[in-house]
Amino acid sequence: MPERRAAHPGLYPASGEHPPLLGQRCAGCGHVAFPPNPYGCESCGAEPDALESRELAGAGELAAFATVHLHMGKGIEAPFTVGVVVLDDGPAVRATLTCPTDEGLRIGDRVQSVLVSQGSDDDGNETVELRFAPLGASDGGAS
Amino acid sequence: MGKTLRELRPVRVVGIGLHRYQRMSETTFVTLGLTAVREALADAGLAWRDIESVYNGTALLGLASTRPMLRHLGASGIPMTQVENASASGSTAFAQACLEVASGISDVVLAMGVDKPAPLAIAGSKTGIRDLVGSRVAPFTHFALLTNEYMHRHGVRPEQVAQVAVKNSQNGAANPYAQRQKARTLEEVLAPPQISGALTRLQCCPIGEGAAAVIVASDDAIARLGLESARAPRVLASVTRTERVYPGAKNFDAELTSETTSLAYEQAGIGPQDLDLIECHDAFAIEELLYVEAMGLCGEGEGAGMLANGDTAIGGRCAVSPSGGLLAMGHPIGPTGAGQICELTRQLRGEAGARQQPDARTGLAHMVGIGAVCVVHVLQAG
Repeated sequence: MPERRAAHPGLYPASGEHPPLLGQRCAGCGHVAFPPNPYGCESCGAEPDALESRELAGAGELAAFATVHLHMGKGIEAPFTVGVVVLDDGPAVRATLTCPTDEGLRIGDRVQSVLVSQGSDDDGNETVELRFAPLGASDGGAS
Repeated sequence: MGKTLRELRPVRVVGIGLHRYQRMSETTFVTLGLTAVREALADAGLAWRDIESVYNGTALLGLASTRPMLRHLGASGIPMTQVENASASGSTAFAQACLEVASGISDVVLAMGVDKPAPLAIAGSKTGIRDLVGSRVAPFTHFALLTNEYMHRHGVRPEQVAQVAVKNSQNGAANPYAQRQKARTLEEVLAPPQISGALTRLQCCPIGEGAAAVIVASDDAIARLGLESARAPRVLASVTRTERVYPGAKNFDAELTSETTSLAYEQAGIGPQDLDLIECHDAFAIEELLYVEAMGLCGEGEGAGMLANGDTAIGGRCAVSPSGGLLAMGHPIGPTGAGQICELTRQLRGEAGARQQPDARTGLAHMVGIGAVCVVHVLQAG
């Protein structure tokens, strides 16, 4: 049975219209972090067993953006646009946006998570990647 | 309670030397390093046998680079230690040399930096912790994002940010050690290729090869060896900090610089108004604006105005990166922080020629490294 896989396993589920980000909350100090880590709390030093999984809603505000012309990353061709998204649930995350260029983007725009297909392998397994779409923009999603 | 550098015995810079920063060439790191060290020895009026210990800032050469280079000065058996602290490697080599002299362990110590371009192996990418963008966000894109945020917050236009590269290209044009020695117009700086966001090529520093050497000494050694103390600026402060968790979605680069610089001011017993010049980590044009604000030279959002007024030009209130900075002098990684100390020393001696900041008495060197780490030194004329 072909399945759908996240391009970044453990950072978001591979399904859902606007999937959450899989973050972490420290039971010791309340620090909320993304991405999660298996080592200890960056804020207070609590050991890993104090770090609880915490879903962070895939919604927030655009704090900065840049259209990238040069990079060494995988799964995308330049130009593409990355943004700093301050999640409604706290942390600021850097993510790829669904729009290839920054035309029409404004700081303060509402954005939400969507899953974008990265293609399928020979067995029909599809890889999806979480990106952020400006609210009201056409759906770039695979859901 | 620990002590600061200032509370230990005085440390002075007695010799400086450089190999020009340049594009990668056939020149070996041995030639690069020896050129800088021999120049520093000649500048100080010292012989190699006077050097008691070496710290070598290097990030890209591979294991154990120092002795294969310095043995050609005569293998004297002295301690030699490589120092890696990302872009601040040369700054940290200098910090270690200062501590060794200040503590009384040695009287005359060489701090240097040497590197040649090589593929980066950044440990932070091997933690097993993945994020959403990985290497889609190169360092220049990190600073393109900061540029975008800064321009929005303060109503600044891309041309105002690009003026940093224009100013520093003019400074670099008067520096025979600079990799980029061509004064650029605003039009040239804004010309494609666009690298990321508002950043064009000339708003990003060139990463080449080179070497820088700084000899530090105690007052005892200066008297014993008959060195010229008037040409030997004193190191008033040495501070290293690393990134913390800052409240909200704050810009950690600016916060870290602000925190480190404040501690350096306190240690040196000065304030930002006392600085005649700064060598600033301007790997990307936006950084100079962010950091002069973080250093308290002006208020938040006023950096572009300060630049436009000429306050940060040579001859202005506080010359920022009279060497040309990373943008024009270049950023060969290991040497860069040590090279900043060479420039401060030359300026504080009044020996900087066409790029001399008039009446320079007090200067600050500032490096930031990926990780993030920040290293700040304050020097005062001898």
